[in-house]
Amino acid sequence: MDIKNEVLYRIYFLFFALVLPVAILLFYKTIEVGIVDGPSWRNAGQSMYVEYRPIEAERGNIFSQDGSLLATSIPYFDLYMDPNSTGMKEEDFNLYIDSLAWCLATYVDPSYTPGGYKEFLIEKRLSGARYVPIKKKVSYAEKRFIEQFPLFNLGQMRGGFIARKRSERKRPFGLLAQRTIGYVREGAKPVGLEGYFNDVLGGEEGTQPMLCVDRANDIWMPIEDLDAVEPQSGDDIQTTIDVNLQDITEEALFRAVEYHDADWGTAMLMEVETGAIKAIANLGRIKEGWWETYNHAVGTAVEPGSTWKLASMMALLEDGFVELEDSVYLEEGSIQFYEETLEDATYFSREVDSGTVRQVFEMSSNVGVAKLVDRYYGRKENINRNEGAARYISRIKQFNLNLPVGIEIEGEANPYIKEAYSAEDNWSGTTLPWMSIGYELRVTPLQLLNFYNAVANGGRLMKPYLVSEIQSNGSVDEQFRPTVLKKSIASEQTIRQAQSLLEGVVERGTAYKLKSEQYRFAGKTGTAQINYKRTRRGKRVGGYQASFVGYFPADDPKYSCIVVINNPRKHGFYGSDVAGPVFREIADRCYHSILDLHEPFNLRRKPVLATEQLPAYDAGELEDMEALLAALDLEFFPEAPGGMGMLLPENDSLKIVPKPLPAKQVPDVVGLGLRDALYALENRGLQVKVSGAGRVIRQSLKPGTPVRGQVIWLKLG
Amino acid sequence: MRKRTSSGLEKTDRLTFSIYLALVAIGWTMVLSVGYEPDIWQRFFSAPIGKQTIWIGISLATFFAVFGIQSRFWMRAAYPIYGLAVSLLIAVLLVGTTIKGSKSWFVLGGVSFQPSELAKFGTALAMAAYLSRFKTKVSVPGDALLALAILGIPMLLILLQPDAGSALVFLAFLLVLYRSGLNPAWYAFGFFTLGALLAGLIWENTPLIASVLLFAGILLLAYQQARRRQALWATGIMGAGGAAIYWVAPQYLNEILLATGVLFGLLALLMYRQNKLRLGLLVALVAGWGIGVAALSQYLFNQALKPHQQDRINVWLHPERCSEQGSLYNLLQSQTAIGSGGLTGKGIFEGTMTKLKHVPEQSTDFIFCTVGEEHGFIGSTIVICLYLLLLIRITILAERQRAAFSRYYAYGIAGILFIHFFINIGMTMGLVPIIGIPLPFLSKGGSSLLGFTIMLAVLLKLDSKRLQLA
Repeated sequence: MDIKNEVLYRIYFLFFALVLPVAILLFYKTIEVGIVDGPSWRNAGQSMYVEYRPIEAERGNIFSQDGSLLATSIPYFDLYMDPNSTGMKEEDFNLYIDSLAWCLATYVDPSYTPGGYKEFLIEKRLSGARYVPIKKKVSYAEKRFIEQFPLFNLGQMRGGFIARKRSERKRPFGLLAQRTIGYVREGAKPVGLEGYFNDVLGGEEGTQPMLCVDRANDIWMPIEDLDAVEPQSGDDIQTTIDVNLQDITEEALFRAVEYHDADWGTAMLMEVETGAIKAIANLGRIKEGWWETYNHAVGTAVEPGSTWKLASMMALLEDGFVELEDSVYLEEGSIQFYEETLEDATYFSREVDSGTVRQVFEMSSNVGVAKLVDRYYGRKENINRNEGAARYISRIKQFNLNLPVGIEIEGEANPYIKEAYSAEDNWSGTTLPWMSIGYELRVTPLQLLNFYNAVANGGRLMKPYLVSEIQSNGSVDEQFRPTVLKKSIASEQTIRQAQSLLEGVVERGTAYKLKSEQYRFAGKTGTAQINYKRTRRGKRVGGYQASFVGYFPADDPKYSCIVVINNPRKHGFYGSDVAGPVFREIADRCYHSILDLHEPFNLRRKPVLATEQLPAYDAGELEDMEALLAALDLEFFPEAPGGMGMLLPENDSLKIVPKPLPAKQVPDVVGLGLRDALYALENRGLQVKVSGAGRVIRQSLKPGTPVRGQVIWLKLG
Repeated sequence: MRKRTSSGLEKTDRLTFSIYLALVAIGWTMVLSVGYEPDIWQRFFSAPIGKQTIWIGISLATFFAVFGIQSRFWMRAAYPIYGLAVSLLIAVLLVGTTIKGSKSWFVLGGVSFQPSELAKFGTALAMAAYLSRFKTKVSVPGDALLALAILGIPMLLILLQPDAGSALVFLAFLLVLYRSGLNPAWYAFGFFTLGALLAGLIWENTPLIASVLLFAGILLLAYQQARRRQALWATGIMGAGGAAIYWVAPQYLNEILLATGVLFGLLALLMYRQNKLRLGLLVALVAGWGIGVAALSQYLFNQALKPHQQDRINVWLHPERCSEQGSLYNLLQSQTAIGSGGLTGKGIFEGTMTKLKHVPEQSTDFIFCTVGEEHGFIGSTIVICLYLLLLIRITILAERQRAAFSRYYAYGIAGILFIHFFINIGMTMGLVPIIGIPLPFLSKGGSSLLGFTIMLAVLLKLDSKRLQLA
């Protein structure tokens, strides 16, 4: 064969062996599909309508700082049966229908008789139904049970069993921090952390082919298919909220708003060093009682009143205009600025002619503060570099009080601070004096608290935050560290003076009634007038807003806290009477639960003799101890047997005293060995996490705390 | 002499270009029809059809731009383009974007690009360049292996993405190798293996396949006997007997196999006695290979394929095992759409199946359904004929080239178009497994249209200069 012929032969072969058969095949198939089978395909086209539809991803959890669930998604299932499933065989259906009907009538819906259920299913099968509801909202365990019924156990294709997974958002702690945790609902504005972290929590939708079984009612049946894209579960977020502190805060606030018949109240607890928000409670009045209706702490900017005086004092100190011991004439409690009279609410200015700057602040004299601010900032003079009020405003800006703090939840209100001499802001001659005592400006409780927190933190302004970690499947995805907004809001000296002023308020000033014997705290009271109207005959006051903001312990500040109670109607309205006690209660209970501040009782020095020879202050199961001591041939005085006990060294002997553990409260397990501690704690339904080895030296939940399945950390040593 | 001013446009092969334009126009109409709504013209450029229009514009501009490039450029740039394509294929494995499970896309500022499109073009050029080299002889094993490597490297890289459909397209170059003189025995061997594999998957009955193969071997050996007629008659009768037994009592299959095996052995022994050992051995080896492949097919199917690939194969070979609303659904919908078109179709813009999104990917991979539904058997036939005409025309163009480079390049393009055309149309009707590759010039999608346009433009440019190139 010569080359040319071979080439030709190859081309012909290609054409006849490959292209032509393919063409013929395609033509044949087109004829078969289009013309021969056309009519039957046309009918088939009407009955099937499948679409890839989104399936919701499981939403991530929100944890508190100690790992308690604040919000979680509980999965549940809606169960259906497809009595005309494509894979279902006539003989299977006939064989199993009796037992299936019996199971369904017995375990699922007793209102049917087995015979009735059988009839119902047969009727559905004959009518061509594809999606018969069996039961809605069943748990996973129940779904597993029903799945095992005869016929159903053949699966979706052959058995016609369909389970649709849904989920429901639950907040295991109910009202606790509800507004801060928030929600995402269709048709409503997203709220709180759920709203802000919606993208993180929401995960990624999957898709699943679904068959439309009822076009009129838009009912879709999922189809098993490998093309389905599994949804990606959302990530979890861990908040800085401490469930115990939140509980304390919310409870204290609740009692106060109830007692004083207020409109709303808010209380917030922040860790001084980091700016982490440990608790945030908002209670508003609704018809049925109290509810977390609105996040006032973050979203409501109000005239703060006297709590603002700290900013004014710090401005004066920072500019070096006053010393704490300077004397101020108090004008007998009333001073005129242009047409307006500014009066003191405190008795102090009527008792004395003049007081020191320190006393002005501690007794919260409006006249004193306004007079000082007006004297040094009221006019453009050399002393204020001819800036006048602008210098005061620039100090306020130096304290960052003109800026939002940028918390991670939706709807933080902006502060409103007038620009000096700005016509747009209606600046007038009376603006500066009133501003100095906390009117004609608005800040949110959170912004004010953050300012006080910076003072407690030695001038370092932290960014408040609520979320410490984003976790996916238990491993940390992203960690949020404390952020410094400003290294120092004022000079070291000013901060020290401010701290001493705040301590003075509690030691001698308006809050002296709140003073505690056990520890020192610092703060400032505030009683602001709200809904007031200035009229020609003076002022009509529509109500008051009582507040207290401060930090504790004063010597080494750990937490700062603000309490604001709006429009109290009963039992007083002063900040020191209404908000102060709430602060004190929160501080007290926090103080007791701060482990670092208390020495564990078995760490106290053991008596010299006893430590050398006798196992003193050890605790454990009474019977065990008795057996042990008997084995060691040690003499001891036994008490009634059973339960837990502790060894007490007497002068020359050992005594076992019972150490009863209350049933529904967190017991004191300090001093116990791990085995006994576990026994005592887990029996009460607590989850125990342990670090270290040896005996328990610290426990994270305070003894006496009500038990409701929390996590308790034990430190062994 | 080459005129510097002429780009060769006036010497373009008008027929090829017309078919190209016709196919592009049909594609445009189909994409329009799938997304058709009365107000489509108001929001034309935000709709898919608007994008397709822009891409057609870009493709036509590119077509003429290619004609501005000297034809010798493609010969010189063949290896660099191939090299670029291969490096992009490597890069996409490292930094590519994953779309629908395969890491085969670069996405840059909203524009996505599939390097496998460039790889098809680059491989066509490189293959042509290599085969047209004076020294290359595909009858020499080393050269043949190198040629196989040219198509194997990009194919392998694409398989890693994984994008089996695009990788399959590279088998088109085996046609080029065939045209350049590679031994047909290899192709026969390949088809034989493929056949054994499919037989194993379809019947899942190794003893039966083994019996049939051994029997074919016996027939072949009998043919070699001196008394050919008697030998063939004897074998024929025995074969018929075996088939009858199997028909009546399939449980005796193993005995039939044993008998066939013994007979085969005896015949092979006879060949040895007749000093025709080599032939006997060859037949035995081939039969053994086929039996082995068929026996292993189930194992390979379960081990080497991912569940979704197994699904595709099942849809193709064992549709009765698939759920109508599950894996079979795409094919059923596609066939329903084509079938409901009947002889003349429902008319343009009237295709409810394709428009209601019953059919998946109805304007890209399954665009042929729209043709079938709206224009019926007649429309489908016209489209198939256009493709056949294009393929035949390209073959004619190939054979009239003086330069070997142009010829092999033309065959490469023809092969690529053929595989796309066959697999795409075949899958919409269940002839071949569902493999996601577009229908050239018709399917919506910029990078595929542009890629095919460039391939065709270079071919036509080379053809227009065929008298100057040698």
